[in-house]
Amino acid sequence: MTKTISRRDFLKLGAAASAALVVGQMLPPLVAQAAREAGHLNAAGDGYIPSMCEMCVWRCGLIAKVKDGRVVKLDGNPEHPHSRGKLCPRGQSGLMNTYDPDRVLNPLIRVGKRGEGLFRKASWDEALDLVAGKMTDIKEKYGPEAMVFSSTHNLSQVQFENLLYAFGSPNYGTQRSLCFNAMITAFSLTYGVEEPSRKYDDVEFILMVGRNMMEAISTSETSELSHAIDRGAKLVYLDPRYTKTASKATEWIPIRPGTDSAFLLAMINVIVSNELADCEFVKQYVVGCDGIQDEMRRYTPEWADQITGVPAATIERIAREYAAAKHNALAHPGWRTSNFINSFQTERAIATLNALSGNVLTPGGCLTAEVSAEGAGLGIPHQPPYPRISAPRLDGVPWKYPLVPLKLGVFQELRDAILTGEPYQAHGWFISRQNPVMSLPDRTKTLEAFGKMDFIATVDIILNDTAWFSDVILPEASYLERYDPLLPVGDKAFLRQPVIEPQGEARSALWIYKQLGERLGLGDYFQYEDEEDYIRQQLKPLGVSLEEVKEKGYAEMPEEDKNGEITFNTPSGKIEVYSETLKNAGFSPWPTWEEPPIPGKNEFYLLTGKVAQHTQFGTQNNPLLHKYSDEPRLWMNAKTASKLGLSNDDWVEITSQVGAAHSKLLATEAIRPDCVYLTPGYGHLSKGLKTAYGIGASDSALHVTYTDPISGGQALSQTFVTVKKA
Amino acid sequence: MKANITIQPRFRIALFPFILIMLAGIGLVAAIWRFIYGIGAISNLSNVYPWGFWVSFDLFTGIAISSGAFIVASIVYIFELEEFRPLLRPTLLTGLLGYIMEVIALLVDLGHPERIWHYFIYQNYTSPLFFIGIYVMVYSAVMAIEFAPVVFERLGWEKPAQILHKWMKPIVVAGAVLSVLHQASLGSLLLIQPTKLHPLWWTPWIPPLFFVSAIAIGLAMTIFESSLSSRYFKRGLETHLLEKLAQAMPFVLGLYVIMKFAQLALAGSLELLFSSGWMSILFWVEILLSVVVPMVLFSIKSVRQSPTGLLTGAMITLLGMILNRFDVSWFAVQHPDPLTYLPTFMADNVHYWPSLPEIAISLGIFSAGILAFGLIAKYFPLFENEEHSHEPTPLAATGD
Amino acid sequence: MTEIKHKAFLFDATRCIDCRACMVACSVENNIPMDKTRIWVAGVGIKGEFPNLDRASMVYHCMHCEHPGCLSACPVGAYTQREDGPVIYNPDVCIGCRYCMNACPFGVPHFDYDKGIVDGAFIDKCTFCPQRIDNGQQPACVATCPTDALEYGERDELLKKAHERIAAHPNRYVNHVYGEFENGGTSYLILSHVPFSELGLPNLPETPVNAVSEAAIGLTLPVALGWGAALTAVTAGVHLYNRKKEEVATVESTTEEVGI
Ligand SMILES: Nc1nc2c(c(=O)[nH]1)N[C@H]1C(S)=C(S)[C@@H](COP(=O)(O)OP(=O)(O)OC[C@H]3O[C@@H](n4cnc5c(=O)[nH]c(N)nc54)[C@H](O)[C@@H]3O)O[C@H]1N2
Ligand SMILES: Nc1nc2c(c(=O)[nH]1)N[C@H]1C(S)=C(S)[C@@H](COP(=O)(O)OP(=O)(O)OC[C@H]3O[C@@H](n4cnc5c(=O)[nH]c(N)nc54)[C@H](O)[C@@H]3O)O[C@H]1N2
Ligand code: SF4
Ligand code: SF4
Ligand code: SF4
Ligand code: SF4
Ligand code: SF4
Ligand SMILES: [Mo]
Repeated sequence: MTKTISRRDFLKLGAAASAALVVGQMLPPLVAQAAREAGHLNAAGDGYIPSMCEMCVWRCGLIAKVKDGRVVKLDGNPEHPHSRGKLCPRGQSGLMNTYDPDRVLNPLIRVGKRGEGLFRKASWDEALDLVAGKMTDIKEKYGPEAMVFSSTHNLSQVQFENLLYAFGSPNYGTQRSLCFNAMITAFSLTYGVEEPSRKYDDVEFILMVGRNMMEAISTSETSELSHAIDRGAKLVYLDPRYTKTASKATEWIPIRPGTDSAFLLAMINVIVSNELADCEFVKQYVVGCDGIQDEMRRYTPEWADQITGVPAATIERIAREYAAAKHNALAHPGWRTSNFINSFQTERAIATLNALSGNVLTPGGCLTAEVSAEGAGLGIPHQPPYPRISAPRLDGVPWKYPLVPLKLGVFQELRDAILTGEPYQAHGWFISRQNPVMSLPDRTKTLEAFGKMDFIATVDIILNDTAWFSDVILPEASYLERYDPLLPVGDKAFLRQPVIEPQGEARSALWIYKQLGERLGLGDYFQYEDEEDYIRQQLKPLGVSLEEVKEKGYAEMPEEDKNGEITFNTPSGKIEVYSETLKNAGFSPWPTWEEPPIPGKNEFYLLTGKVAQHTQFGTQNNPLLHKYSDEPRLWMNAKTASKLGLSNDDWVEITSQVGAAHSKLLATEAIRPDCVYLTPGYGHLSKGLKTAYGIGASDSALHVTYTDPISGGQALSQTFVTVKKA
Repeated sequence: MKANITIQPRFRIALFPFILIMLAGIGLVAAIWRFIYGIGAISNLSNVYPWGFWVSFDLFTGIAISSGAFIVASIVYIFELEEFRPLLRPTLLTGLLGYIMEVIALLVDLGHPERIWHYFIYQNYTSPLFFIGIYVMVYSAVMAIEFAPVVFERLGWEKPAQILHKWMKPIVVAGAVLSVLHQASLGSLLLIQPTKLHPLWWTPWIPPLFFVSAIAIGLAMTIFESSLSSRYFKRGLETHLLEKLAQAMPFVLGLYVIMKFAQLALAGSLELLFSSGWMSILFWVEILLSVVVPMVLFSIKSVRQSPTGLLTGAMITLLGMILNRFDVSWFAVQHPDPLTYLPTFMADNVHYWPSLPEIAISLGIFSAGILAFGLIAKYFPLFENEEHSHEPTPLAATGD
Repeated sequence: MTEIKHKAFLFDATRCIDCRACMVACSVENNIPMDKTRIWVAGVGIKGEFPNLDRASMVYHCMHCEHPGCLSACPVGAYTQREDGPVIYNPDVCIGCRYCMNACPFGVPHFDYDKGIVDGAFIDKCTFCPQRIDNGQQPACVATCPTDALEYGERDELLKKAHERIAAHPNRYVNHVYGEFENGGTSYLILSHVPFSELGLPNLPETPVNAVSEAAIGLTLPVALGWGAALTAVTAGVHLYNRKKEEVATVESTTEEVGI
């Protein structure tokens, strides 16, 4: 950050919320009655309340310090396996999301043109009636499928899905295809397990393919990795950028984007052709151990050398080191694996490497069955059966994308269907806890799709860019102001409970969905009095009282066998390195090399990737995170920059097939000469974000929509751009 | 010369004081601004450079040049060299005003001037700055007393004047002692920056060095002021007296320079004299002006005997010594390069240069001082057995 | 009575991922205005040429020196040092002279340059979170550090730990614990894989900055008395000598004193 800019920023910040400049100096809401009842708070309203972070999807346990009915500090909950007493910078700053002066605290109804940002406050009754009315109209005119629903994973999502299934629409957009489709699909097909969890206790060798764990933080896993490295475990990290993870790695491989699978296939080649794999294990559990040698023969290190630019010797060495570590080796599945249309093959190769190292079942193995998520063992309010849905999904699952699991979907494809009206025209969009205007590639296209909508409603806590373009905004209570359904982690079910009363008119999603459901005549699907009643029903099978859970912050769950045994839910019941399913769908049954497109001359790979101080597109307005994060600039290799006659802090124009953006330049050694990088989440369109508006450029405005035919994953690194002085 | 003395006043009365008043006024405005919007609003002081021009000019320079007072007082009362008496009152007044200005400047520089009284209830006996504060107050009081007879005389109070006169010697002795401690402690202010003040200047000997140089400065100031007053008030000393002082100069400066280099030798940092780039140059320039040139000049009889020679020599000495005060309190102070730290909006400018308002405030206070001197000289018997005629008024004359 | 052990921090640069959770935590815990901070991430950033790069960052706040320069320098004693180490600033006493800022070799105390006489301009610096440590918690910055790059404990314990780590990984660390001796020892101990100067840390001798100035002040009284005595002697001497001369000179001529 240059002085001038940064000074301006914080002046602007000052202007944004001079009243709110000191943490916690906002209109103090009353302390949560519930918390007082639970005995967390004394009469004065001071005390500590356990709950859960929602600054990102990792959901660490937190303990909120409350004073005079205001949250004044958040600390990690030592009892929660995701936090272990720690919170990442975003978690620490959480109370400023709640106390953000730009919070939406009343239902808003658009009065101006879309995107003009003119809204009027409305009562919940008016707003909910309006939304329900519009949805009913659309349902009656065009059928329920004409309503699109989309939401990013969160604890009340069960009830969001409940709403849309009850409503009867097949069109459900989630962040998943933008995030981890490649990984989930690959591991489901190979292991019959969506996302195996990682164990670092005995890990000796970690291979990470663009999993920037030290910046894209998951508190507990980041901490585990860091301690593993401290113990002396070897970390080999593939990333075209020198990230903070790279700086902690024993070996950083600045691989050419999109060529990871070549690197990994060559590793497999070395391992199988030299028979370095854990044979017992492989023979016993893996389908394809006979054919694999021939199949991998062509993927020699020399071959990979040509493609990846990584010396054959290096690949060979790493492969041997990996194999030598046996089941103490871990090839990390990654998370945001939405880089190239061949990312699915990358994930398949990773799955295979884990299978070969035999780290899956053997005691002390580094890959274990995922901890059962989504309420296993918990009760759920009774629901009548959902109406059966005849209409095809607009995102082409499964008719266009046979192997994409329904719950994942192919979010980015929705827009073409909306714009072409094929196979049918959608007319309404109901969005919750999601910012598709920013998170989907090709922002212009998304806004065009919005243009086709008769009606858009958004549930959010701030005027994010999507809300900015919506007709109705329903303000949800922030995660510190509300209840959410219980979240089972390991042998505990953790509770999110309000630590302060909701500010203004904000309400929990559980409440909003139920209200909406009733107005849509779907009351039967929402058989809970209120949030507390909902959780009581969840707790029923456990025979624990809500009061006890409020006090402890979690409920013990019945001991399920915890030897981490994976039951492979694959057709063969084994690990399918060779997959009939893929074959029958007309894809390669083996992990294979698919040549990704390559940028033309004077084009760059446009990379994206998280920074530790922000989550996606929703926290840039948090004054605390703004305070301590770097000014977003376009990363470009220093030598390339000087070749182009560009230097630090020059304003540059970045142009892709679908859009252009202006950014300041950061000339750095920390990126490949053929790549540039932008931090996601900047370049907001919403003027309702006073802190964030006007800062940085949006890579979503540049990203071209590319979908992997197998996993349906978006390819975010496959967009090529040119850069010139602005 | 003679001619223009008679004509000059008329038009100067108008112009010169006017300029002074303007400057004072500007300074006042800047000061008010500072008190409303904070020090950062008008100065370039920062977390990297907490002290700057104000401290170097008002505190270090101001106190240094006030040392004329205790020199003359000592000459007259302790060494009973009565012929110097005519210089006594002007120098005392300069000293007194110097201190008052100094205190005013300090109040502007303080974050909490309204708490200055904390000095009396929260003492920290390890703090050089604490002692300096005390010395300034007490010594100002002493000088006030030493100057009081002038006031009494004006008011025609015979009795108090008599009494005071009896006690003057012990008072002057006390004053001399105080000013020694004071000048020295000013130096000790820098002792706590061994890692920040360049080794060419930082030494445990700073306090004695400050004291010895203060004597030199005092002598130079005396010569300087006397020369001025002899020019404008036609009431200076005969050159042969000043020559006496000038004769002392080389010895004082000699002692000073020997101490300076001896400590460098002992500290084993002689090679820094040439190896420290700009710092070395700065050091040599300082030595040249503050020691070498004056020593040479003042050792030459003809120079000592020519009024112009004396004045020049004195002025060069002062220049050099003031440069020394600026060096130790600013130019040679190297604050650790601020780490390239976050949040970057906190990053402070590494290079300090005073802002205009900063200078304006100091200048304003200085101007006010001169005005005060002029007024006092006009209405009080600053120069003994002077018939209070209104020609040529000192106010009119002071500047040239 | 058992002597109270000094509390301290141990920072390990090899572990710090520059996530800044510590900074956010400090801001919240201590209610720091949005345009101020008392904790920084300092360091070299990225060094070297692609693809041979190195990176280091250091979290940095008051070192809570064993011999605090700030405390020694403050004319009105606005700083105090707790028995267990923390060096604490008291705004109610401060007169805003900013001498402590000069005295601190680490440039830690920061001043409200943006505050006028009404709001009152104060110094701010890390307090060691007494409200937390007295309450059995770790300081906010330490408590939240995801990688345990920051640790809190008793100084000698942490020193031991630091040396053990160096011993365990001799070629990972620079073989020195910064703060063990610097400036007479600090309560913020630092381990690093790059030279400490690259983290922006000043190269300090073992004698604390305030040693000499305090010694000098010790000399004040002797000097005062000595000099006073000398001057009195001279005065008296000169006086008597002159009287003699006068008497000798002439008896009738009565020199009439010119009263000042
Ligand atoms: N601080 C923070 N933490 C987060 C999040 C957040 O928003 N902020 N979000 C959470 C979520 S939802 C997710 S999905 C995860 C995502 O966490 P990660 O899976 O780490 O994903 P990113 O950080 O988006 O990108 C990781 C790296 O991929 C690199 N990359 C791009 N293309 C390629 C390629 O072709 N090959 C290789 N090898 N690398 C490539 C980028 O340079 C980037 O450094 O983080 C989670 N944690
Ligand atoms: N260019 C680019 N695109 C990307 C990525 C990238 O790295 N670069 N990452 C991809 C990945 S990994 C993912 S997971 C997706 C994420 O895509 P999205 O989920 O669309 O993006 P988020 O910013 O996570 O959206 C969260 C929204 O929820 C709002 N919110 C926060 N708290 C609450 C709450 O308590 N209640 C409600 N109702 N709303 C709340 C926030 O204000 C924000 O608007 O983006 C994908 N798209
Ligand atoms: S990782 Fe950070 S943001 Fe995500 S839940 Fe944990 S503390 Fe909150
Ligand atoms: S680091 Fe500076 S502020 Fe902190 S105790 Fe030491 S001298 Fe005082
Ligand atoms: S600024 Fe305040 S704390 Fe610092 S030295 Fe001056 S009075 Fe003491
Ligand atoms: S100890 Fe407390 S005050 Fe000091 S930096 Fe850490 S959090 Fe801030
Ligand atoms: S929290 Fe820990 S890892 Fe993060 S910046 Fe602070 S010290 Fe470094
Ligand atoms: Mo994600």
